[in-house]
Amino acid sequence: MSGPTVFDELFALLTPDRLLKDPRATGEGVSVAVIDSGVERAVLEEKFRAAGRPINPIDGAVFRPNEPAPRPYDGHQSSPHGTTVADIILTMAPRVRLYSADIFGPAGTCEVETVIAALRHAIDVWKVKVVNLSLGVPEHKLQQLPRRQLLHRAIEEAYFRDVLVFAAAHNEHPFTRSYPAAFAPPLISVDKGLFDDPLRFAYRLREHVEFQAHGRGYLGPFAREPATSWATPHLAGIAARILSLKPDLKPFEIKTVLYWLFRAGANGRPVTA
Amino acid sequence: MTDTVLIVDDEDSVRRTFEDWLRTAGLGVRVVAAADAEAALRAAEQTPIDLAVLDWNLGSGSDGLRLLEDLVLFHPDIVAILVTGFAHQATPLDALRMGVRDYLDKSTDLTREAFVGAVRKQLDRIRPAKRQRELNRSLAAFREAVEKVLPIVRTSAALNDPVPLPAAVKSLLRFAGRAAGAADGALVIRHLSADGTETALAYGAEGQPLPLADLPFSRSLAASVVSRQEPAVLNDVGPAASGVLDLHPFEQQRTSLLAAPLPVGGGTVAVLELFDKPAPGFTDDDKRVVAAAAEVGADLIRQAVAERQTHRLLFDAVEAALRASTGVQEAMGGAADPGGPPPDAVMARLREGLDADANAVVDADTALGLVEAVRGLAVRHGPAAVAHCTRVVNDLRQLLDGLTGIG
Repeated sequence: MSGPTVFDELFALLTPDRLLKDPRATGEGVSVAVIDSGVERAVLEEKFRAAGRPINPIDGAVFRPNEPAPRPYDGHQSSPHGTTVADIILTMAPRVRLYSADIFGPAGTCEVETVIAALRHAIDVWKVKVVNLSLGVPEHKLQQLPRRQLLHRAIEEAYFRDVLVFAAAHNEHPFTRSYPAAFAPPLISVDKGLFDDPLRFAYRLREHVEFQAHGRGYLGPFAREPATSWATPHLAGIAARILSLKPDLKPFEIKTVLYWLFRAGANGRPVTA
Repeated sequence: MTDTVLIVDDEDSVRRTFEDWLRTAGLGVRVVAAADAEAALRAAEQTPIDLAVLDWNLGSGSDGLRLLEDLVLFHPDIVAILVTGFAHQATPLDALRMGVRDYLDKSTDLTREAFVGAVRKQLDRIRPAKRQRELNRSLAAFREAVEKVLPIVRTSAALNDPVPLPAAVKSLLRFAGRAAGAADGALVIRHLSADGTETALAYGAEGQPLPLADLPFSRSLAASVVSRQEPAVLNDVGPAASGVLDLHPFEQQRTSLLAAPLPVGGGTVAVLELFDKPAPGFTDDDKRVVAAAAEVGADLIRQAVAERQTHRLLFDAVEAALRASTGVQEAMGGAADPGGPPPDAVMARLREGLDADANAVVDADTALGLVEAVRGLAVRHGPAAVAHCTRVVNDLRQLLDGLTGIG
């Protein structure tokens, strides 16, 4: 085979500079749900207002075990974790419409049923396009097969509703362990890495993990310590930037675009893994 | 509780016949028989009577209705069946008011079937009300008992409480601190009870309680660590945390920090915090060591916290019972005697519970003896006497500390 094919031409066109640094790639028109420990709204509003990049109003709800309906969001966090995550998304895509689903349980972990309730609310009520899950369900809570299946089914429902779910991956992460093949899951699992530019990322296929994104945050007590919790919103924010250029992209298209961006020479090699 | 039927008739043959009918009728009642009013009142004084079968004419100028008036003094809830050969002699309204619920006429054909049927009918009416009265009485007695014993339970628990948890914390912090090279450490515990009540505690490296700032858990370092679900290091405590995090006094002015959540479970979260490792600070190896220590420490803390929760559960149960029986206590119109000793059964149960506490600083009898003495002092001489007692105890401790060199 000689000469460039259409794929070579496509890869040449799909560069990070053209997509991610397009002035219109701000997250505008894209709704993102942060299913986490709540968001300290005033802190983020003030931070971005002071930086000259005012954000859209943050809305949300509070989900607790054994409560059929969510409580209203009062603008406060249940722990700083969720605020750090939201800050990363807004740093990457400041014009997204952000929703906070606070699922932080009394023991610091969350129940499967609470995650599912928040996920369904985000899809049905808030009509979000992107869901960020940096706060996981502990493995032992998914030992029962029916509960694992319920969570699997909820993630699949999101996929079939054209909603992209980004989940933090680490060695024992329940979301990624729940799926039999890395290509099959209708979510995007994200590992941490350190990149010289937070818009850069890598495709590193290994067991249960596909992507690697920048693992340092900007706001919060442990934001500077690399974590998958901070890597996930980086990639979710990048997806929001892409979606603001083409809002009707399907989850599999986003995944493909992300892969092609990396493949097209996105210089997405991490400084450290 | 077996119902008691009193039969009063001056004719031996009638009395024996009635007794025989009742004993063979399968009513499950206790039968007490008396030939006259005096014997009937003696029996009523010794035995609760539920139903009286009274002859109208008891001889010696006495009658069943007058006897019933006296029986009511002993047992206000007593009901009666009046047996008479002259039904017209009865004054129905007065009799009804006094507790007569039925008449049997000896002048007609009084059969076994009619007699037993009348008694059965009254017993069926009596029994539900009697059960309710007994329940009310037992609730009131329970309330009286727990009101007496509650201060003792609280005081005894307070005597033993400070020991196990701080001891566990001290062991854990000593191990984790040495392994990670930390200069100092603390353990933060937060418990959220089922009713939403939040309790926060912090202990230092020696197991001593640490003062906590008045800040919501949601803005604490512990909350941040718990939500990460893994150990975290902070070697440059910079301004990045401002706005989303507040620190307790013992967390401030630290050069480095390593914190790990302890999987205690239930509504309890615990966070191990290590401070001030010399530069370059805590490493990933330290995180792994502390993660392992947290697993082991969680068992230690879980056990210690469970003991505290056992006390808490006891208090909750007792207080719930008190609330539930408030209405009954008011209805009974009775009041507990604060000067009287708690019932033996309650004290025995409490002693068992205290003996089961392996970490108690003093044995159950000693603890109970002390708190009972203080309670008695308070009852007789008021709070000032107790305050004086406390001063004497503190003086004694200082004296002994000085003599033994502890302090």
